[in-house]
Amino acid sequence: MRWDVVWNNIDYFLWGSLNFDTQNMRVTGELGGLALAVVLAALGIFGAFWLGLAAGLMRLSRRAWVKAIAVIYIELVRGTPLLMLIFWFYFLAPIVLGTAVPEFQSTLIAFIVFTGAYVGEIVRAGVTALPKGQMEAARGTGLTHFQAMRLVILPQALRNMIPSFVNQFVSLTKDTSLASIIGVNELTNTATQVNNRTMNAPFEIFITIAALYFLICWVLTATSRRLEKHLARYQARGR
Amino acid sequence: MKKLSFALALLAACTMLAGAAFAGKLDDIKKNGVLVAGVKDSQPPFGYVDEQSKQIVGFEIDVCKYLADKLGVKLEIKPVTSATRIPMLTQGSVDIVAATMTHKIEREAEIDFSITYFPAEQKLLVKKGGGIKTVADLAGKKVGSAKGSTSEKNIQAAQPKCQVISYDTYPMAFLALKQGKVDAVTTDAPILAGLKATDEKPEMWEVTGDFIADEPYGLGLPENDSDYRDFVNASLMEMWRSGEYAKIYDKWFGPKSKCPLELKWKMELWP
Repeated sequence: MRWDVVWNNIDYFLWGSLNFDTQNMRVTGELGGLALAVVLAALGIFGAFWLGLAAGLMRLSRRAWVKAIAVIYIELVRGTPLLMLIFWFYFLAPIVLGTAVPEFQSTLIAFIVFTGAYVGEIVRAGVTALPKGQMEAARGTGLTHFQAMRLVILPQALRNMIPSFVNQFVSLTKDTSLASIIGVNELTNTATQVNNRTMNAPFEIFITIAALYFLICWVLTATSRRLEKHLARYQARGR
Repeated sequence: MKKLSFALALLAACTMLAGAAFAGKLDDIKKNGVLVAGVKDSQPPFGYVDEQSKQIVGFEIDVCKYLADKLGVKLEIKPVTSATRIPMLTQGSVDIVAATMTHKIEREAEIDFSITYFPAEQKLLVKKGGGIKTVADLAGKKVGSAKGSTSEKNIQAAQPKCQVISYDTYPMAFLALKQGKVDAVTTDAPILAGLKATDEKPEMWEVTGDFIADEPYGLGLPENDSDYRDFVNASLMEMWRSGEYAKIYDKWFGPKSKCPLELKWKMELWP
């Protein structure tokens, strides 16, 4: 086994060519590897949450055209492989916008749009799962529909959605590996670069990469477990 | 319906505008002061990330550097993959593609090519003294290659009696050769030389084989920009005549390099 190959390149796997120049006190190189995958996943999760929340609530709207927009968006995106979306955003953007969108931003948009559709369905399921009486009682106290949604329905529904969200976000985190297809220098891409250069330690390199992916996904699931436990204290039902 | 047709017209107009922007690439490059080159980031020694500097270096980067120096502009490196290199060139994200791209007639429909700057030839990597010297010796033997590569198709055409086993990557195919699962590995000679060099005992292996297929690498250039192509072709020939090509070749493929490969080829030179 050639674990020295992994050891010699571990910094490149973790943060790419980023380097702190101690003489000139400035940062050189570019972020890559695991750090870039985490940044991509974190921004993707953040964006997808808000987009999905909007899509889910729009799907529940009684206005037909609002609902139609959400249904078309969710169905179209769910029926498309993520890889295709990444390609499309990357190659269609210059035709539509007139300028090329950088690789990182373009994949980030694809991740947000893709995961947003799934989050939308989770939100819809979470809201409809609450007893109808919740909304009726909230409206009965004089709250508007929007206020009732924001203050009564969503705080309860979102708590119930956490396990489904985590599922989706873990999946997004692993899907960041697809960004390598258009040359984003994230973890999988750094592994391929090092593997093709050294050529004598493919198993060692990819076992390390798998372990790193597992590690960040485990941190994500462990955090969500703690969050769920914490929030369960405020849960009225199911005791 | 009216809105839809308007949107389509707008889209078409944008596409044409983008097309029009390609005219006079040479002027654009000089105006911007930078030549953006699309290169491979995981194909040593053509383009790969250096272990020490963590920057993309390689034979093709040096070729592009020569062109940039000749224009008096800076060189900007952008990693491309086999899937993205042609679209990135047509949409203008890169000015030139130097990414182990074989000059194929079917690719001429979308982009133009320079003259050949690297003569990749498909060869065999075998165990020294193992009895396999040519493609004819492969009858009834197993040959390893990589999935989806042109080498896979070429070897099957050249020797229908051999059994081709495709692996995900070339390092895996080489591992199979070491373990005796295949009798030879076939692909472009520089990749084989690189594989051989990674082994603890490189002298045990040999790059051999007669003609299987040519894979002439050409620089990818935007379609229908004759002035720009003339400049690139003239620069490549000048690079050869001045001995600069030999110097760069020696740096990456010379006897002291990690990937020794004898230069038996001569660039097409126009008088």
